[in-house]
Amino acid sequence: MKILTTDPAREPRKIFYKRAVVDLKSGAVTYEDVPCRNLEDVLGGFGRSFQDLAARHITRAYCDENPLIVNTGLLTGSRAMTGMRTYFSGYSPIKAPQKGAPTAIWSAASGKFGAKFKWTGLDELVFENRAEKPVYVVIREGRSGPLVEIKSAEHLRGLFTHDKIMRLQKEYADAHFAAIGPAGENWEEVLMGAIACSTENQLRSGEDKSRFAGRGGMGSLMGYKNVLALVAQSKDKLAAPSDEVKRVNLNVIKGGGSLRLQPVNRGGGGGTWGAYDVMQPFHAVPVNNFRPQGNDLPEKLFRENVEKDYHIKSEACFRCGITCHNNIHERNADGSAGRFLAKFDYEPLNLLGTNLGIHDAGQAAALIHLCDNFGMDAISLGVTLSYLLSYNARHPEKPLLNGATFGDFPKIKELVERTGRGQYPEIGQGSMRLAQSTGEPAYAYQVKGLELAAYQPETNPGYAWAIAGGHMSMGTYGMLIREGKTDLDSWVQAITDDKLQIVGFDMIGLCKFFDIAKGIGTEMVRTCLRSEHGLEVSAADLRTAVRRAFLRGLVLELRQGYTREEYTLPAEMFDDPNPHLKVPRIGTREFFQELSERVWAVFEEELDEFLQEVGAAE
Amino acid sequence: MKVRVKLHGVFRRGRFKEEIRDYPAGTRVVDVVRELGFSDQLLGTVIINDMHADIEQELKDGDCLMLLPLLDGG
Repeated sequence: MKILTTDPAREPRKIFYKRAVVDLKSGAVTYEDVPCRNLEDVLGGFGRSFQDLAARHITRAYCDENPLIVNTGLLTGSRAMTGMRTYFSGYSPIKAPQKGAPTAIWSAASGKFGAKFKWTGLDELVFENRAEKPVYVVIREGRSGPLVEIKSAEHLRGLFTHDKIMRLQKEYADAHFAAIGPAGENWEEVLMGAIACSTENQLRSGEDKSRFAGRGGMGSLMGYKNVLALVAQSKDKLAAPSDEVKRVNLNVIKGGGSLRLQPVNRGGGGGTWGAYDVMQPFHAVPVNNFRPQGNDLPEKLFRENVEKDYHIKSEACFRCGITCHNNIHERNADGSAGRFLAKFDYEPLNLLGTNLGIHDAGQAAALIHLCDNFGMDAISLGVTLSYLLSYNARHPEKPLLNGATFGDFPKIKELVERTGRGQYPEIGQGSMRLAQSTGEPAYAYQVKGLELAAYQPETNPGYAWAIAGGHMSMGTYGMLIREGKTDLDSWVQAITDDKLQIVGFDMIGLCKFFDIAKGIGTEMVRTCLRSEHGLEVSAADLRTAVRRAFLRGLVLELRQGYTREEYTLPAEMFDDPNPHLKVPRIGTREFFQELSERVWAVFEEELDEFLQEVGAAE
Repeated sequence: MKVRVKLHGVFRRGRFKEEIRDYPAGTRVVDVVRELGFSDQLLGTVIINDMHADIEQELKDGDCLMLLPLLDGG
């Protein structure tokens, strides 16, 4: 970034970001310093990419006019803790309205790729068109700025995500990597391809500990473009943090916001895995395609039960003190860590475990490992699988594919492997399309074509307004269980104001765990911007920019063809209430109807401005 | 007075899952949290007799108190 002002909210045009545009068809690369249009542009991530995507009218995800935008946030690669994020944006292969065009989406990943990318001097990389043959792209630090080169990727074809990364590591020192897997290469059959970003731990240990940009099929879009991997090669730029940033970083670790994610042995909550323990008393842990049964089966995957048989290591992203990763290893006879199996985060563990009727940690780990190595979004894959298993349970006389049902690990494993290889497009296309083909959409746990995260929709009507994945772009998922909120006023306020602020982290380059409850409109973020970039931004301006970015995303959805009726939740929830859930019942059509009317009434007052900017549907 | 206390998640470590405990009249949830020695920053949800409650709420004889760590993230 070239920063010629201290006031980015009032003088955004005095801030320039470095963009490289790669025409994959011709091989031409152009570089430019682009002046920012507004504070969203300055912050970066989807706040910038969605403005560029809005300028394009895309009717099919797999077309040359649909770009893949790779960018970072203002604090990516900075000394602010968690400033590691890379964003991938484009029109989604998987997320689309019932009738209409694909919608814009972004996906974020940690790992060290984002910081390395930023340290090359590049802020944004835009891929236009598609390459004729498989390529990988190297971004490196040149003498007078970043350089982007296209190289043949014949030797990477068909490799798992981790194997691509390790192969490239042999060729490039001082570099980090982003790679798709076989799923992304089979983009026609798999719309849920993810992008794996390398971690220091992975490159050092050789264990497949990537971080993933999973949601929305950006790995499939990358596969369509015939780009199998990215290499970001630069020296580390690691000056010591200022005293102010040091204090912020200390506050991130000790201030309480991230305490629940800290390792258990440090008095923390042990990462997102702990959600199992918190939701089980309410029988709200998704089981068998989001139908908790009121029994104790989910407890089999509680940490306290898993650690009886496995070695659990608490590990962290590069330079992050939160240490939220729970890496599961086999346990050697002497009690030490054996072979690495998988990382247990709540979403993949539930959606590739309990929600498939899999209650064995080793089996769940095997499915997570496969999903990661094939390069698929664990949420979309898990929820589509659970739909299929549910369908087969309902139709034993005429099951789909290999006839797998809940808990049948060998058959489920086969489904994952064959989906990743492109042999089961029925699963690879996601749950919305699969349910359209069966004619039974009521129990497909998706909203607007994107599968739900592992929180029962009965506990989170806010899912309907999430613009890029249920829990990553609408932070209402804990409101009922954590806070017991059942009144409309609270839900309307949360959806239309506070909880949409979660998307701010997907602009600025920080992980949500930096301060998940408050968003980026905080003194901590202001301090980092001042110290790292000499920028003075008020908390109010930050919140306004985040809100504008969110509303732009909402308008983009409408422009691409979503009807108001599609802002809803799976019908099974309304029509066949689960008696086992021990939560106040707000998942009724009446509650949701009134909520919907009130939410839209708030948003509508502001949407006109963005409708003019984005334009009407064609 | 006697209060049934149920702990969940990491709160159980080195403590208990469920116990009936004696407390003086006027004891609040926050007093129990401090007595048990876990961080109120990690406390996410307080349930008394199946209803969400506030940390300052006073307990009564026969209450069932459930304490859960913070829920957030995926």
